[in-house]
Amino acid sequence: MKNWLSSFNGLSVVKILIYVFFGVFLLLPLISVFLVSFTSEPINLLGSIADPNILSSTIEKFKNVSFANYEKIFTNLTYLSAVKNSLGLAILVSLIVIVMCIPIAYGIARTKMPFKKTIAALCTIPLIVPTFISAYAIIIMFGRAGWVTYIYQSLGGEGMLLDPYSMAGIVLVQVFFFFPYALWPMVAAFKVSDISLEEASLNLGAKNWFTFIFVTFPLAIPGLISSALLIFTVSFSDFGTPIILAPKDLNLLVVEAYREIAGFFNWGGAAILTVIMVLVAAFFFWLQHLFTKGKNYGSVSGKPKQQKLNDTKWLTRTLSGYSLILVIVPLLAMLSIVLQSVATTWGSNPLPNGYTFAHYQTIFTSSLGNIQNSIILALGALVLSVVIATFVSYFVVRQNSSRLDFMTSIPLVVPGIAFGIALIQTFNTAPLHLTGTALLLIVAYTIRRLPYMVRSTMGTMRAIKQDIEEAAINLGATPLTAAITIIGPLMLPGIAAGSILVFITVIKETSISILLAPADWAPMSLAIFQNILRGEYYTAAAMSVVLVVIVLILQAVGNRISKNQL
Amino acid sequence: MGSVKVSQLTKEFSGVLALKNVSLDIKEGEFFALLGPSGCGKTTTMRCIAGFEQPTSGIIQLGETEVNHIPPNRRNCGMVFQSYALFPHMNVFDNVAYSLNIKQLNASNLVAKLPVYLRLLNRKLGNYPKYIEQKVMEILEYVELDQYAMRLTSELSGGQQQRVALARSLLMEPAVLLMDEPLSNLDQKLRHSMRNTIRRIQQDLGITTIFVTHDQEEAMSMADRVAVMDSGEVKQIGTPIELYSRPSTPFIANFVGTSNVLKGSVIGQENGFSIIKGKGFILKSTNHADQTEVNLIVRPENIKAFKPGTINEDKLTNIIDGTVLVSTYLGSIVRYDIKVDEYQLVVDTTFVPGEAILTEGEKVQLSIDPERVLII
Ligand SMILES: Nc1ncnc2c1ncn2[C@@H]1O[C@H](COP(=O)(O)OP(=O)(O)OP(=O)(O)O)[C@@H](O)[C@H]1O
Ligand SMILES: [Mg+2]
Repeated sequence: MKNWLSSFNGLSVVKILIYVFFGVFLLLPLISVFLVSFTSEPINLLGSIADPNILSSTIEKFKNVSFANYEKIFTNLTYLSAVKNSLGLAILVSLIVIVMCIPIAYGIARTKMPFKKTIAALCTIPLIVPTFISAYAIIIMFGRAGWVTYIYQSLGGEGMLLDPYSMAGIVLVQVFFFFPYALWPMVAAFKVSDISLEEASLNLGAKNWFTFIFVTFPLAIPGLISSALLIFTVSFSDFGTPIILAPKDLNLLVVEAYREIAGFFNWGGAAILTVIMVLVAAFFFWLQHLFTKGKNYGSVSGKPKQQKLNDTKWLTRTLSGYSLILVIVPLLAMLSIVLQSVATTWGSNPLPNGYTFAHYQTIFTSSLGNIQNSIILALGALVLSVVIATFVSYFVVRQNSSRLDFMTSIPLVVPGIAFGIALIQTFNTAPLHLTGTALLLIVAYTIRRLPYMVRSTMGTMRAIKQDIEEAAINLGATPLTAAITIIGPLMLPGIAAGSILVFITVIKETSISILLAPADWAPMSLAIFQNILRGEYYTAAAMSVVLVVIVLILQAVGNRISKNQL
Repeated sequence: MGSVKVSQLTKEFSGVLALKNVSLDIKEGEFFALLGPSGCGKTTTMRCIAGFEQPTSGIIQLGETEVNHIPPNRRNCGMVFQSYALFPHMNVFDNVAYSLNIKQLNASNLVAKLPVYLRLLNRKLGNYPKYIEQKVMEILEYVELDQYAMRLTSELSGGQQQRVALARSLLMEPAVLLMDEPLSNLDQKLRHSMRNTIRRIQQDLGITTIFVTHDQEEAMSMADRVAVMDSGEVKQIGTPIELYSRPSTPFIANFVGTSNVLKGSVIGQENGFSIIKGKGFILKSTNHADQTEVNLIVRPENIKAFKPGTINEDKLTNIIDGTVLVSTYLGSIVRYDIKVDEYQLVVDTTFVPGEAILTEGEKVQLSIDPERVLII
C-alpha cells in the first residue's frame, strides 16, 4: 500500500487522464456504434452509468437485440451494392495505381532518367490537396463545360471524354491524387532489390528486359503488394471524392453511411455501415502491416549499395516522358482551380472569359470567419495533440506502455466518416452532450491525427537519454517537473514538426468537418463543400486556393524545421 | 545524517540476480569506493541507493531513516552520472542552478511558481534571484569554471563537463554524493588530476561519497575504504592497505594489485611456522590455516631474486628454484616472469644501477620472507 502510494505521482495522474480521454472519445464511441448495429437505437453508455432511468431504457433496448442489420448487408440491395462498389473501387484504384507507378518508380530508383527532381517535386502536389478539392478540379476539367471536354470535342469527340460524375471520375481523382502514397514505398522496393542477382542474370547473357521481368520485378513484389494494400485503405476510407462525384445511383459505403446519419437519422443503418468500414479498413491495415514487417527500407539510406543506374537513352527518355505526363495531371487540376478562382465567368472555352479578383474579395469579406474557424480549430487540435502526444511518447518510450502505443494507433484504421458517425451517436445526449460543439470537433481532429503526432514525438523522445531525466529527478525534481522542464524543451523540434503536420491535416480534413462542424464553427473545408453544393463554384475555387496556399506555406516552414534538425 | 547503511540488498532483473545480499555500512564523511569488474552490480547498487531501482529485498538507510519508499527526488543523494547527463539545452549556469530552481519551485505557491517555470523553460524569460546567482557563481568558482558560466555544455571539454556535473550535484547540498565511474570518459592525464580534484573537494566539504569504479588504482588511491564486488556480491570490505595486505580470496588478491597465487597443502607446523608443500616448492609461512588445502598469496615485490649461490642461507628460509622467462625493465623496477614448475611467478626487484639484470633462460633462486606468505 505504502509502495503504491509513493509511486502515485503527478505523472500517474496524467497517464490516467490520457486513458480516460481515449476511453471516452475513442473506445466508447466505437463500442457504442458496435452495440447500435445490433439494437438499431442509440445506446447511451455514459448515461447508463450516471442515471438509473437511462440504464433501464438501455437494458430495454438490449432486449431487442437482433442481427437484422447484419442480415440487411446481404438482403438490402442498397447496402449490398455499397459494399460491393466500395470494395471494387478500392481494388480498382490500387491496381491502376500500382501498374501506373511501376515505370515511374523504376525510373526514379534505377535509371538516370532526366527531370527526376521535377517529377519528384510534382509528386508532392497531390499530397497537399484535400480530395474534395481535387474532385472539384476534375469537374472543372472534365465536366460538361470543362476545358478538356472542349479540346476533346474540338478534336471531333462526342459528348464528354469522361463523365466526372461516375465511378470513372472517382477512380480518376483517386488514382491521380493517391499515387504518391504508393510511389515512394515502390521506389524503395526497387532500390532494395538485390543488385547482385541482377548482375548475375546479366552476366549469364540475359537481356535487360528479361532481367527486369524475371529478376528485378519479382524481387520488388512484396513492396508492390504492401503499397497496393496501403492505397486500398486510403481509397476505401476516402470521403471527399465520392461525396462530390458519386452520382445518385452509385452507392458507396462512405456516402451511404453519411446519408443514413445526416439525411435519415437511421442509427442502425449508419452503425452497421460503420462497423463494416472499420472492419474492412482494419483488416487491410493489418495485411499491409504483415507485408512491411521485417522489411527495413531504411537500410537503403543507411548503407548505400553500389547501384548501377540504367542509362539507356531511349528507355530513360520514354520513362521520363511517361512520368511527366502523369505527374502533370494534378498540377493541371490545381491550375484549373486557380484559373476558376480568378475568372469572371468560365464557360465551355479553354480559358476563362475574363479575369477578376472579386471572388477573393468576396471570401475575404464574407468568409473570413471560415478561415478563422479553420485556424482556431486547427490550433485547438494542435495544442491538444502536442500535450497528449508528448506524454504518450513519454509513457511508451520510458515506461514501455505498449497499451497506450496500441491505443494511439487505433485511429489509423478508423475511416474518418466512421469515426464521425460513432462520435455523433455517442455524444448526442446528456451527460456529455457534445455533438454540435466546437469542442467535439477539436477532440475528433485530435484523435484522428494523433498517430502522426505521436510518431514524430516518439522519435525525438527515443533520442533523449534516460539519464538526463534521472539527473533532473536526482536533483529534486518530481517526474512531472522533470518532464516539463527538461524533456519538454528537448522534444521541441519533434513537437514542432509534428504540430505542423497536424495543423495541415486538420485544415485539409473533410469527413469530420462535414459531419460534425456546427454552422457557427464551419471551417474552410466545410465552406468549400457547401459552396460546391450550392453551385457557387468561383468562391469555392478561391477558398480552395487559399486553403492550399496556407498548407503550402506551413509545409515549407515544416521542411525548414526538419532540415534545421539535421 | 550523512551515513549510508545497506542491509541484505538483493535485486532481481527478470530472473537474473544482479545483487545478492549486499551489505554496506558507510560512515558519515567517508570516501567509499565500490570496486569490481564490469557487470558485477556496482551501478545497480548505486541506483538502488539513489532510488532509481526498487530493491527486490533488503533495507537502505540514509542517516537513521529507512528510505526504501522515498522516491528518488526526495532522497537528497547527489548523483554524478557516468555520462555526466548534463542538460544539453541549458548553459553551464542553468545546469548548475537547476536544483535551486527546483527547491524554489517546491517552496512557493502556484503564482510564485510561474516565474521559476519560465526561467527553467527559457533563460530569457526570467531572472534569477540574487542568492541563487551568488551560490551558483560561488560553486563555479570553486570548481574553476566561473569563466564558462554562459557556455553551452556541449562547448566544454570532458573534464570541464565533469566538473559541471559535480558542481550541479554539490549545489543541492546532498547528504551523500554518488559517483558512477566519473573518470572513465577522461584521458589518462586528466584522470589523474580529476582524482585529486574530487578527493580535495570531498575532504573540504566532508561529504559522504560513494565512488564506483572498476579501476583498482583509482579506488585504492582515493578511497578511505573499498568494497570489492564480484557477480552481485560484496567479497571484502576494508581500507586499501587491508585489502592489499590481507585479501580474503585469490580473486581479490588479483583484482587489488598483482599477486602470485600458489596452491598447496599444509604438511606440518614447525617453530610457529606452517609448512606448505606444492608443485615445485616448499614454503614456510607465519600465517596459519584451519584447512590443509590452501592458496598462498605472494605479492611480486615480496619476492627476491638471486643468481644461484649468492643467497645468504641463514637469513632467508624460503628458497625456490626457477628459470627466468621474461625480464622487463620498468624504470625504477625490473619485473621478471619466472617459471617455477607449472607456475609463472611475477617478481618485482628494485633496479640498482650498475647491477646486471637477469636474462632470459637464466637459472634463478627466489627467496620469500615467511611473513609475506599469505595463506587463504
Ligand atoms: N535494467 C536491467 N535489466 C536487466 N538486467 C540488468 C539491468 N540493469 C543491470 N542489469 C544486469 O545486472 C548486472 C549488474 O549490472 P550493473 O550495471 O550494476 O553492473 P556494473 O557493475 O555497473 O558494470 P559496469 O562496470 O560495466 O558499469 C549485469 O549483469 C546487468 O546485465
Ligand atoms: Mg556501471
